[in-house]
Amino acid sequence: MKASANRGLLEGLLFFVVLGVIWEASVHVFDIKPYLLPAISDIADALWQSRAIIWENSLITLGEVLWGFLSAVVLGVLIAVLIYFVPLARRTLYPFMIALQSIPKIGLAPLIVVWFGYGLSSKVIMAFLFAFFPIVISTLGGLGGVPAHLEEHFRAMRASPWATFWRLRVPSALPNFVDGCKVAMPLAVIGAIVGEFVGSNDGLGNLILMATGSSQTALTFAALAAVTALSLALFYIIELLGRLVWWRSN
Amino acid sequence: MAAAGRNGIELAGVSKIFGQGESEVTALSDVSFSIRDSEFVSVIGPSGCGKSTLLRILAGLIPYERGSVQVAGEPVHGALDPVGVVFQTSNLLPWLNVEENLTLALRVNGSDASAEQRAAMLGTLGLTGFEKRYPHELSGGMRHRVAIGQALIRDPAVLLMDEPFGALDALTRDHLNMELLRIWQARKKTVVLITHSISEAVLLSDRVLVLSERPGRLIEDVSIDLPRPRDPSDTREDPRFGDYIVQLSELMGVR
Ligand SMILES: Nc1ncnc2c1ncn2[C@@H]1O[C@H](COP(=O)(O)OP(=O)(O)O)[C@@H](O)[C@H]1O
Ligand SMILES: [Mg+2]
Repeated sequence: MKASANRGLLEGLLFFVVLGVIWEASVHVFDIKPYLLPAISDIADALWQSRAIIWENSLITLGEVLWGFLSAVVLGVLIAVLIYFVPLARRTLYPFMIALQSIPKIGLAPLIVVWFGYGLSSKVIMAFLFAFFPIVISTLGGLGGVPAHLEEHFRAMRASPWATFWRLRVPSALPNFVDGCKVAMPLAVIGAIVGEFVGSNDGLGNLILMATGSSQTALTFAALAAVTALSLALFYIIELLGRLVWWRSN
Repeated sequence: MAAAGRNGIELAGVSKIFGQGESEVTALSDVSFSIRDSEFVSVIGPSGCGKSTLLRILAGLIPYERGSVQVAGEPVHGALDPVGVVFQTSNLLPWLNVEENLTLALRVNGSDASAEQRAAMLGTLGLTGFEKRYPHELSGGMRHRVAIGQALIRDPAVLLMDEPFGALDALTRDHLNMELLRIWQARKKTVVLITHSISEAVLLSDRVLVLSERPGRLIEDVSIDLPRPRDPSDTREDPRFGDYIVQLSELMGVR
């Protein structure tokens, strides 16, 4: 098991190294203009030269993503519980949410910036909008997916609705919820970057725009690498936290 | 009802229909019987005849179309406090270990079992040393034993069991059969045991109720007149034991 996992990692790494070598070689062999496609070595150079500015902007984007994601988790779970337990909410909130989800959120970004300005809040809201829906849907699925025989068992034990919620419904919904978080986290990153594209003075999305605008393509790639690393790191944290929920329906 | 005693069971003219129209299934048809306080009664019948349905009705878990049901002197409209249920499938929660599953029925109602009670129940079930294991680490038979213990540890006055020993090997089954008899005799419970094993029904029960093919009707109510305390090997050697087996097998259409 361990050996094969190590081998998989090694093969994956090797694949990336080969791709990188091909990239580097093609740029030199075909003499591609650096503002079109910089060599890997130039990107690495840009990463190092601009490390301070990339780090600063990464922290800003990270803050937007985390606030957006956390508010999506809190509100998403609350709304899901409400929709699940309150028939009126199921008839009103749920269709409203589906309609909201059908609006292309990228199209909402300019409005959000007009309403909430160039600062942190408009990006947090964009990240929130992207992350919210998968959290609600996965939590709803989890709450509704409790096996009927377990619900019956809890009724036979005369468990109160409160006890049934905490001891049965919540633990059975957790695996679904974790899956929802895994979908939502990368979406929150996309939301924040979109928000920065549309209106901001900082953040990695802004850095990408600035670098591309001034033909510093190597810096664009460096910033993209930073976004990817950020997204991967956040996903991995969710993955690790998700292991606390080790039980899966079997 | 006074006739059945304090922890008795009284069924009168109960029918149960699932679904409507085309897909209508009559699971039980006009079933009546009464079980006295502290009586041990088994229910046998072909698969699909409505045994589990009958148990769910007694446990107050599903409504019924006609008739009346009383358990422990109360009309049944929902789950009743003095009633413990062991389901056909072992309903263990995958995120709780053996000990936590064992005491779940107590803990959902805000109480718990003492360490001695837990240890004694684990011993009875042959699960000592497995208290920290999770359901996925247990064999099917062990999971069933935990589920049985979960009902027993509450010490309910009325115990309803749906084929609880079906998944166990013969030795464990004999052992738990005797443990159940011991607990029943010591704690004076009313027991309704659904089983597909005729010999288990005869070995344990005061009476055996035989249900027909679907729709389930009560076709026979056989009193088992064998001396107690019973014992797997001695009781099976009693000639009357064989007679009961033959009689019930014929009723079930096995011979
Ligand atoms: N929830 C249900 N909905 C529809 N039909 C059911 C339901 N539960 C049981 N039945 C039907 O009722 C009949 C009796 O089922 P059951 O009581 O489980 O039988 P047994 O336990 O004797 O094998 C079967 O035909 C079954 O298909
Ligand atoms: Mg059954």
